[in-house]
Amino acid sequence: MAGVELLDIVKRFKNETVLEGVTLTVAEGETLVLFGPSGAGKTVLLRLIAGVVEPDGGTVRLDGRDMRDVPPELRNIGMAFQNFALFPHMNAFDNIASPLAARRKTAERVSEGVERVARLLKIDQVLTHRPRALSNGQKQRTALARALAASPSLLLLDDPLRNVDAKLRFEMRLELPRLLAAEGATTLYVTQDYKEAMALADRIAVMFRGRIAQLGSPAEVYLSPASLEIARLFGDPAINVLDVTPEQDSQGPFVRLSRLRAPIDPGLHHAVGKDCSLGLRPEAIRFVGGETTGAIPVTIEAETPLNEKIVTLVTTARGREILVSRPSGEPGPAQGQAHIAVDSAHALLFDRRTGLRIEPSRDDADVRGAAA
Amino acid sequence: MSEATLSLEGVSKVYNPGSAQAVQAVIDLDMQVTAGEIVALLGSSGCGKTSTLRMIAGFEEVSDGTIRLKEREIHRLSPARRNVAMAFEGYSLYPPLTVRDNIAFALKSARLSRDEIARRVAEVAHLLEIEDILGRYPSSISGGQQQRASLGRALVRDAHLHLLDEPMGQLEPQLRALLRGRIKHYIKERGMTAILVTHDQTEANALADRIAVMEGGVLQQFATPAALKDRPANLFTGTFIGEPPMNVFLAEVGAENGSLRLRLGDDAELTYAVTAFEEVVRSRLLERGRIAIGVRPHAVRLVEQGVPAHVAANQWLGDQSHIAAEFAGGLLVAVEHHRAPVRPGERIGVTFAPEDLHFFDVESGVAVSHGGRPA
Amino acid sequence: MEHTSTAERILRGIAIGAVVLFFIFPIFWILLMSFQTNETILRNPPSIAFVPTISNYVALLTGRLETAAGTLDISFMQNLKNSVILSVSSVAVALLLGVPAAYAFARHRFRGSEDIAFTLLSFRFAPPLLIVLPLALYFQDVGLADTYIGLIWVYQLICLPLILWIVRGYFEDIPADVEYAYRIAGHSWFATFRKIALPLAGPGIAAAGLLAFIFAWNNFVFALVLGSADKQPVTVGALAFVTASGIQFGQIAAAIVLSIAPTLALAIYAQRYLVEGLSLGAVKG
Repeated sequence: MAGVELLDIVKRFKNETVLEGVTLTVAEGETLVLFGPSGAGKTVLLRLIAGVVEPDGGTVRLDGRDMRDVPPELRNIGMAFQNFALFPHMNAFDNIASPLAARRKTAERVSEGVERVARLLKIDQVLTHRPRALSNGQKQRTALARALAASPSLLLLDDPLRNVDAKLRFEMRLELPRLLAAEGATTLYVTQDYKEAMALADRIAVMFRGRIAQLGSPAEVYLSPASLEIARLFGDPAINVLDVTPEQDSQGPFVRLSRLRAPIDPGLHHAVGKDCSLGLRPEAIRFVGGETTGAIPVTIEAETPLNEKIVTLVTTARGREILVSRPSGEPGPAQGQAHIAVDSAHALLFDRRTGLRIEPSRDDADVRGAAA
Repeated sequence: MSEATLSLEGVSKVYNPGSAQAVQAVIDLDMQVTAGEIVALLGSSGCGKTSTLRMIAGFEEVSDGTIRLKEREIHRLSPARRNVAMAFEGYSLYPPLTVRDNIAFALKSARLSRDEIARRVAEVAHLLEIEDILGRYPSSISGGQQQRASLGRALVRDAHLHLLDEPMGQLEPQLRALLRGRIKHYIKERGMTAILVTHDQTEANALADRIAVMEGGVLQQFATPAALKDRPANLFTGTFIGEPPMNVFLAEVGAENGSLRLRLGDDAELTYAVTAFEEVVRSRLLERGRIAIGVRPHAVRLVEQGVPAHVAANQWLGDQSHIAAEFAGGLLVAVEHHRAPVRPGERIGVTFAPEDLHFFDVESGVAVSHGGRPA
Repeated sequence: MEHTSTAERILRGIAIGAVVLFFIFPIFWILLMSFQTNETILRNPPSIAFVPTISNYVALLTGRLETAAGTLDISFMQNLKNSVILSVSSVAVALLLGVPAAYAFARHRFRGSEDIAFTLLSFRFAPPLLIVLPLALYFQDVGLADTYIGLIWVYQLICLPLILWIVRGYFEDIPADVEYAYRIAGHSWFATFRKIALPLAGPGIAAAGLLAFIFAWNNFVFALVLGSADKQPVTVGALAFVTASGIQFGQIAAAIVLSIAPTLALAIYAQRYLVEGLSLGAVKG
């Protein structure tokens, strides 16, 4: 039985349509991440499921039950908000206890329940504090504990790590999957951080302008993005995009990069002659010696350390800007002239007009499997 | 010394002095910013970075100490007389003016020619991608747009010093990444001096020449991004800078037959040739007996015959994998720059090269050694 | 180290002193007057020195006013009692009706909600006399004239819009997410109203209630037209001091002192709570 079923959900605010027919099924126990830029409709979708916002069209089913006219308090949901939404006049204990108290548990069961999640989230020392006396990290954990306290069948987490510092965000990113697996709840998780999405998701639903643009595993979304728009959202630094028009010769289809022939996936022969964009991930480009075949000469513009990577901005002879990334600690040129090698056979090709990815055709027997 | 454009000497800030709720927000801060430099004040909320910025801008009185800008004592002057431009975290645009007029406001007061104003506004609007909203009013644009307009209003001005308070906090990650590079270029091209307050180390690293790490009102370290990473002054900066954060373990130090032994929790032990560490480092380690070891996640090597660890999680982020493993009674994080094939529950071996080890004093947290050389 | 110099501190002290004097002086002067007889008050030239007397207070409390023209019965204590009954009941009724209404207006955008809210506010625009005169005729017919209930009803014209509009603002300041969080936790909307909205808007409700109380207490016209002597509050009752043989300044002063005492006491008692609430630090969490 599916945990959550959404059928053709439509939502308008005044004249603006924020959700345009969203259909989505989340399996029981699955963690599904809703990912997309702000204004895509992720948060509204979460609120519709929670029942605090009414859809203008479509059906929400939880555990197979139609949720029309079911108020939020009867949906057995736990939710954590981006701004925590703790009750400021209650201490952490009472905040976490509120879902248990609502389910009319005895005082003993309530404090058992609170202590269980408080220990799990390491906030058992601060239960008597009011929210204003808590650090940001403790607030975030309290909010999460409140969502988990009554062991709800569905967890809605609305960008819960957005307002905590990098260190804490990283720790929670490691901790959350285990926590969610232990609770066994179906989880819908909203985020704008692609790393969070990839680390936590069983499946990612990428949303743009009120629609789901792609639904798939982290590997599918990263390696085979449905459109250039999606490809640009995954990866830091973002994917390099070069305008190309594929050509063909006796050896198969290719594109020209700085006048050099760069072969592309043989299955892409149907893209020949089209205006296309070539997507090259910064980590798929390497610095090489000048004598390497197919090496492209470039000028190094700037080098920036980015966490565990070094990102180099280079320009080609034609002035195209390309970002190259390599693990920090790996040597590379810091200035002057250099050469780069591009694994064009695994590059992504997009139709420049529609922005959609052009998939290699698979009817040729000799075509290698697509990147995925 | 005469090079310093801005100098803070013994600057302190106490809120509610003398009362029971007295709060020491900034304690005895000394800092010199050179002309043309971009400096980031980095720390978590409540570390004193915003108080420092507001004291420089003149919105907050200095409780003690001196602030000089271009050889002139400014800490008693009103904000308007300090020749400082500021972009606010909370936007603070003038509601009755369009975005264009908001950005042009200070230029008009400075009596610049109409053409010059138009040129500069267009330039900064192009830089921040707000050309399409120049004619709109602040109430009709999004939070991110308001923030960019506020940033534009500060950047467009001529001032001795530009102060930017969390200038990109409301922007989306993609836009933020794009604007970082552009803003740095804009500031550098004009030789402006800027101080940026942020809690985001990626932003500080990308924009700043030097970063001042603050915690508890105290300046922990003031250095280049590379130096902060390679030579953290103490355990706080060590674990604060770097994403994922540095791994830290406590160890008992022992020496035996030409090797140095570091005994960690859960019977895990690291052994190194004594020659891997300089003489003075060895003696400092041995004299302490107990020491805190820091290792950056990307420096953790996964090898067959290393010290055993058990994989707890493996998260693949596209261009790298973050692996968390139970090790020496704690959790060890390793970064691999490919899709690592290990699964939770699996046993792996880990080693650390001596040049990747940082040692810190257990009590004070002060750095003892980096990569075998004294700190 | 403080930057302010000694001169600056002295100047600041003088400035604050001047402001305080300006506001406090009338109250202080009335307090002095209330302890003087009419003769000492009216002597020329005026003098600050006098022999204090409590005769004014005695007269008010016993209800017997000795004047040069003879003894006059005044019902000040009855007026004071009426003031208390009218103001307290009016504010109570207005809170009972206004707070839930304010919540509805703040949280639910139903059709015509803005119009209804504005209509309620517009009651405050009309000159009270214009409303009260026709109302007096109706009240005669339905038997509400000269009753507490009738007066309390009319007092809603003052109290209800005030409470509705102030409290609505406080409800709107509570982040909706905090209420959503409580409902999703499993509580009904009514529990959410009682356990989240009411406590968080509490200081605002108290402030609005206090303000409404002061307006109700100081009302003059409604009771003048719609009530007879035994239902009239102190504001109207004070007219009795304007006697045929002259104005009884001493008693008026004493009456003022007695009638502002409850509101003043209430305001001082509530002050700390109000300031804390009005700064709204609590909701921001």
